[in-house]
Amino acid sequence: MGTTHTNASGTEPFDKNYCVGYQVHHEDWSPYPRINKLRQTFLDRGYDIDVERLRLVTESYQAHEGLPEKLKVAYAFENVLLHCGIYIYEDDLIVGDIAAPVKAAPIYPEFSVNWIIDEILHHPFEQREHDQFYIRTEAERQEILDLCAWWQGRTLDDYINARLDDDQLKGSEAGKKIYQTNLYHYAGTGHLAVDYARLMRLGFGGLAARAEEKLAALDMHDAHYNDKREFYQGMLIMLRAVSKYILRYAALAGEMAAAEADPARRTELEAIAANCRQVAAGTPQTFWQALQLFNFATMLICVESNGHSISYGRMDQWLYPYYAADREKNGLDKAFALELLEVEYVKLNNPTKLKDAGSMALRNGRGFGGESLTIGGVDRDGNDATNDLTMLMLEASAHTRMMNPWVCVRMHEGTPEELRVKAVECIRAGYGHPKLFNDAPAIRGMMRKGMSLEEARDYCVVGCVEISLPGREYGWHDAAYVNTPKMMEMVLNGGRCLDCGPHCPRWARCGAQGKQLGPDTGSLDRYASFDEVCRSVDAQFEYWTNQMCTSLCVIEDAHRARKPLPYVSALFEDCMESGRDLTEGGAKYNGIGPQASGMATCADSLAAIKQLVFDERRCTGAELLAAVKANWAGYEKLYALVNSSKVHHYGNDDDYADALFKFMFETYCKHIAGRKSPRGATFSPGVYSVNANVAMGLNTNASVDGRKKGEAISDNMGPVHTDAGSHDISGPTAIVNSLAKVDHSLATNGTLMNLRFPEDAVAGTEGRDNLVHFIEEYMHKGPMHVQFNIMSAATMRAAQKKPEDYKDMLVRVAGYSAYFVELGKPLQKDLIQRTELHF
Amino acid sequence: MAESGIVFNIQRYTIHDGPGLRTELFLKGCPLHCRWCSNPEGLCRQPQVGVYRSKCIGRRACGACVQACPAGEEAFRFTVGKLAGIDRTLCTDCLACLEACPSDALKLWGQRMTVDQCMEIIRRDRGYYERSGGGVTVSGGDPLVQSDFVAALFAACRAEGIHTCCESTLCFAWPVVERLLPVTDLWISDLKMMDSARHRHYTGEGNALILRNLQTLASLGQELILRIPIIPGVNDDRANIEASAAFIRGQLGGRVRCLQLLSFMRLGTEKYKSLGMSYQMSDVRMNRRAFQRKVGLIAAYFNSQGIHCLVGTHEKD
Repeated sequence: MGTTHTNASGTEPFDKNYCVGYQVHHEDWSPYPRINKLRQTFLDRGYDIDVERLRLVTESYQAHEGLPEKLKVAYAFENVLLHCGIYIYEDDLIVGDIAAPVKAAPIYPEFSVNWIIDEILHHPFEQREHDQFYIRTEAERQEILDLCAWWQGRTLDDYINARLDDDQLKGSEAGKKIYQTNLYHYAGTGHLAVDYARLMRLGFGGLAARAEEKLAALDMHDAHYNDKREFYQGMLIMLRAVSKYILRYAALAGEMAAAEADPARRTELEAIAANCRQVAAGTPQTFWQALQLFNFATMLICVESNGHSISYGRMDQWLYPYYAADREKNGLDKAFALELLEVEYVKLNNPTKLKDAGSMALRNGRGFGGESLTIGGVDRDGNDATNDLTMLMLEASAHTRMMNPWVCVRMHEGTPEELRVKAVECIRAGYGHPKLFNDAPAIRGMMRKGMSLEEARDYCVVGCVEISLPGREYGWHDAAYVNTPKMMEMVLNGGRCLDCGPHCPRWARCGAQGKQLGPDTGSLDRYASFDEVCRSVDAQFEYWTNQMCTSLCVIEDAHRARKPLPYVSALFEDCMESGRDLTEGGAKYNGIGPQASGMATCADSLAAIKQLVFDERRCTGAELLAAVKANWAGYEKLYALVNSSKVHHYGNDDDYADALFKFMFETYCKHIAGRKSPRGATFSPGVYSVNANVAMGLNTNASVDGRKKGEAISDNMGPVHTDAGSHDISGPTAIVNSLAKVDHSLATNGTLMNLRFPEDAVAGTEGRDNLVHFIEEYMHKGPMHVQFNIMSAATMRAAQKKPEDYKDMLVRVAGYSAYFVELGKPLQKDLIQRTELHF
Repeated sequence: MAESGIVFNIQRYTIHDGPGLRTELFLKGCPLHCRWCSNPEGLCRQPQVGVYRSKCIGRRACGACVQACPAGEEAFRFTVGKLAGIDRTLCTDCLACLEACPSDALKLWGQRMTVDQCMEIIRRDRGYYERSGGGVTVSGGDPLVQSDFVAALFAACRAEGIHTCCESTLCFAWPVVERLLPVTDLWISDLKMMDSARHRHYTGEGNALILRNLQTLASLGQELILRIPIIPGVNDDRANIEASAAFIRGQLGGRVRCLQLLSFMRLGTEKYKSLGMSYQMSDVRMNRRAFQRKVGLIAAYFNSQGIHCLVGTHEKD
């Protein structure tokens, strides 16, 4: 393999060692005192709930009740931007947040309010076991309750509930949680990367001018004339409000500068004021202004909607022209460019989102989450795209070590050695970033979605692992979480849960009188051959994916009807040109991506059935069924056997079990891929669980792979680990070979693989190089994604014992990193149990 | 290829025994019986059954081993209802218990494998060797106990361009070593201690043959990594260290790729127990910190003598 090199460089040598693993009582990481201070201030601040957005949005909706939705949302947005409190914090160089103080979560009543009322009254946010939020005063608590009460019956949630029938509800979070569509049922969608290059080129003023032109040129013969007129009118209200909002910051910075005693800080505040004046409507003239415009534009997406995974696209690419020009024209200092990046990195942690308890269980953490920042990879012509910013963005990551941004390095055969090494230096520092993507399968996946090769090469990562085309695709990634082991219960037990009985609240509807939850596609005591089992899996998966996908179509339509998004639509060229909102299918490419969890749990279950019941006849199907119904009690021999190395298990480079994983993977993808939604979106399967595998496991009966009731189901693409032990026992290369036996590009919504090594495995120059080479071969073998935890189980246990010493220890959960000590206990346990790979 | 050997473990993705990412095969049988050996399952040439009590689900729930054994109940020892040991005098190695056991409480150490079967596994990680400069290492036990097998295996690796490394005590007649020279890229061996009588006391054999073989390897210009397992109170004394340095400089002409000091660790206790063997080092008491410091000083001494010496198998950061 030829090694390629680059002249691109940051401020430090590409092979600078950032330490290996988490360092207790470490010194500050950044060379800039400002950054260390900003970071510490962030860590020390608590999480609040902020009532202001709720108040201003409600006030506006009450005043505009008769207007069409696109104008209602526009006036509400305007009311927030013109009247919310604005703040410029000490030491900051870039200003603007999500219309709330930092780390304070606004409320978005447009989506749903019932859970807010219910939780305040019955399960207060401040009393949660983790992810607590604090309402500042008793008066505000009452105000929130009163304002939310007005929204009851008016939300997106209400629109959805009126349309779903019992067959759709029974498998959802309202029923048996076979699939969970919580995220976009109760909150915004997000999951997009806008066209930042176009924004930089046009500025907010340019966007407004284009909207005015389009509005003036509307064709009255167009059947959608009214929809489009309202769209542009709403967008213009919003874009003009944005400019005024930015000028409010310019004025505040100016006032603060005038009152500032310290001349250095005064100069900074004056610069901030000038930057805001420039980007309020104009285009950025400097690197600093480009970052300032990026910050406003991005934060405002989170003011419009609380959809998460607002991603930054290929930031090293679209930002580079401003860096290069500033270097050339004004002699921008590389070190100052890095400091600005680090300021922005810290700032990107501020947006905070209040989630319902159900969604929180699927994804722990109080940030919005999913803010992926993609660097590296190939350009549209297939050449390596590494530049100085690629390296600087990794340096900024190593210097800040926070949850955000979720840095993602795209790798390909020609990725220069300097970038490979630098990425690995960051990875082995053990703070969970960056994640790595593999260009070859990702580009194939993009082309499966109908994109040209040139477009496909321009993919970025959105959220955890979703591949998306910035500014062109509204992928509705992360649309639902599918509990495939729960579907397997129906396969084992004739369409019923394993614990089906009168104790179940659904008994009258699906247990009694010969009714059942799902169709009867056979049961383990009746199957005559393994082929019959596979056919039953297929039929059961078809039934449940039908219910889920039709439900998602209802939810998607509710977003169109109740919560159009004219502001963020302005940042999508195809929406602007077509006059169609993002929620109406205005983007060039539209998708919906629900993802499967627990694939290995299903695969190992099938392996046990195939081997023990049909191939070796060591037990009967009836015995296995009785064993899982009894949660293995009284079946200790079988329990030991299915958990032993005597049974084939996925993740050991064992074709027997790996073929069954492939069968599960392909069955799921087949039933999702290609369906259409009213928005014109194409369904796109993903195979990842984030941390939903833990919550889903709590709700799933015992499974044939040797899992007991309540244990986590398998995570993402990873192998099974049960309380009895890990099923993958053959080391990392075997896992990779197993993983590489499926075609990852079939999962156009992404696949996710976690690998965990203890710190000493990657210590020393040789340890580093071994990890570099391991990654190269991993990519060569073809999986789409990989991320690492460089953290021993011992380190995690130490953190559980003495959380105060590990306050800022980040752990890679799934697509994201989170503070380990802030996670729920069951998730901490799952992370510890994931196999630690040794050499 | 019909040639076969008894392999007790294949570890994929190892980094400690030779350069790069490697697949390591552990072969049964060893001419030495070092008291500190951490792979006791490698000592005996024949396959053996190991007992892992923690994996046993209990006689009452299971009892499959007792039912399957021709020798019956007497052959097994249970503590608090779980299998704790096998009476090796009654065991005929028929492996019936192993097949009957539903869990991993009984583990087979040693399985006959052909060169083809080994190569099938080795090939699976070939990309990792190529990218990292790794390959295949045979260890044990001592792989030269099965030198026919190693010769055939290495020839197969060579034919496919895979780097080969042999980790051996070198306690064999020279012709045994010599026949592997054409197919071996790298040797790893120990210089346990310089005094032959003490060597015999602690390992069961004197060191004359080993030292001579090391000299011959060095004189032939073979790639060699030398190791000293530093055992407190056994070979960490000044006289032994100085004699070792003198030997490396004088007799090996300094022709070692590097000298690695492996600090004594109480490893393998669990494995001794599983095999019903007693671990002779369990009474070694030491202050780990002071010992590590001492090992560091020893390394510094070797380096001062012009011998490239590491503590452990890798350079530290």
